[in-house]
Amino acid sequence: MPVARSDIAVLAVVWLATWGAAPVLAQSADPLAVGRKMLAEDNPGELWIDRGKTLFYQQRGPKRASLEQCDFGVGPGRLDGATTQLPRYFPDTDKVQDLESRLVTCMVQLQGFNRDDIVKRAISPAGSNGSDVEALALYITSRSNGMKMNISLSHQKEYDMYKAGEYLFYRRSGQTDLACVQCHGEANKRIRLQDLIHMTDKKGVQEVVSTWPAYRGGHFVVRTMQWRLYDCFWQMRLPELTYASDVSIALTTYLHYQGNGAVIKVPGFKR
Amino acid sequence: MRKAGLGWMVLGALALIAAGCATYPDQATTRQIAEKMVSEDFTAPTPALLKRLEQDQSQRICSKIGDAKLAQEEAAEVVKLARASFQYPQSGKLVGDWKTGEKLAHDGAGDRIQFGRLEKRKENGGLCQNCHALAPGEINVGNVGPSLTGYGLQRGNSEAVAKLTYERIYNAWAYAPCSNMPRLGGTRHLTPEQIAHLVAFLIDPASPVNSKR
Repeated sequence: MPVARSDIAVLAVVWLATWGAAPVLAQSADPLAVGRKMLAEDNPGELWIDRGKTLFYQQRGPKRASLEQCDFGVGPGRLDGATTQLPRYFPDTDKVQDLESRLVTCMVQLQGFNRDDIVKRAISPAGSNGSDVEALALYITSRSNGMKMNISLSHQKEYDMYKAGEYLFYRRSGQTDLACVQCHGEANKRIRLQDLIHMTDKKGVQEVVSTWPAYRGGHFVVRTMQWRLYDCFWQMRLPELTYASDVSIALTTYLHYQGNGAVIKVPGFKR
Repeated sequence: MRKAGLGWMVLGALALIAAGCATYPDQATTRQIAEKMVSEDFTAPTPALLKRLEQDQSQRICSKIGDAKLAQEEAAEVVKLARASFQYPQSGKLVGDWKTGEKLAHDGAGDRIQFGRLEKRKENGGLCQNCHALAPGEINVGNVGPSLTGYGLQRGNSEAVAKLTYERIYNAWAYAPCSNMPRLGGTRHLTPEQIAHLVAFLIDPASPVNSKR
């Protein structure tokens, strides 16, 4: 059963109230720490897991099929631990795919949805009920909660993806001259008040790879890694990153491989 | 004996090649694969906007992977290109109005592309606040770049300071090749006039950046 909207609203109000109180409490060395802790402890993103589960088992689309036959790399219908090994090479598509691109493949092939329609709606408007893909991605990833990221490179296309991702992480372009590393290459950095994760550091990159999909407080919806990447390119003044494109999968492969060993804990909570 | 060992090694190597043993591609192949992705995986409302993805010579040099170091000749090339990029306001005045500069420094918007549209504004924001501490006591400021608090107090507001400040904002790579600081004038993100206002914001004794509090 879909989660009632009023429940979300109530949670949002409670959450906003705690947020508002945070600065008053936070007088310690790091004035933001208390607020961050409070946000992490009461995560409205949990509500999306149930919704994703419902969507996964429902017979949907023109073919009236569930996603139970979808193979995320460890066998059709097997979800436990599946995302610890993504992105990976899939022989049937002859491509390296991340969770979201694989999900799109299954929604098209098994359920008969139109690819362009899914992609168009994949990233939901802020303040909305979220998209199907966002809920599904969270549910599927939550089935790897408590397990360690364990990406392996064995197929040539996996090696190629990884190296392309590394290259792109350092590739500067556009009128702001930015690559990923300009903001994510050092510890304890912020853009205005927003913490920037130190991704050339093992611990930092492990935080990235284990906390998406995440509830994005400012948007009141669950966001995925695809959204995170899209939004970075937007802020860098670059053209729009295509959903589930190779650039996004390359960067995800690079980061996830670096983050091997991280224990998955979703939904994360982001400001 | 030794010869036999070598024979096995050669055989082993041949077997690996025959099996198509997967491994990391070399630099040139990686570049080719990744650049193809870049050319295919983005959309923009106009073809001209897609050109933003193309690297210029300096950006190519400044995209070193991992701990790879910038060679001396490369740094010199970046500095040379940066110096050649300098343009100054038509008026010749490198110090504008600090109040206009203050607004610009706190403006992080302009020229972003979303939902198939370009964010149209009269002018782009200066983006300074994103990365630099500005006036004393200001909390909502980043720390990717060095603090600019008291910039003018430390340096004064002589003509030489104004020119250096102007050029460092216009194209930081003339003084610090490949630094994280965007070449705000060099890439045309800001106009020379806007940069002159930012100079005023940094060095004018009346600017909040230089308030002694």
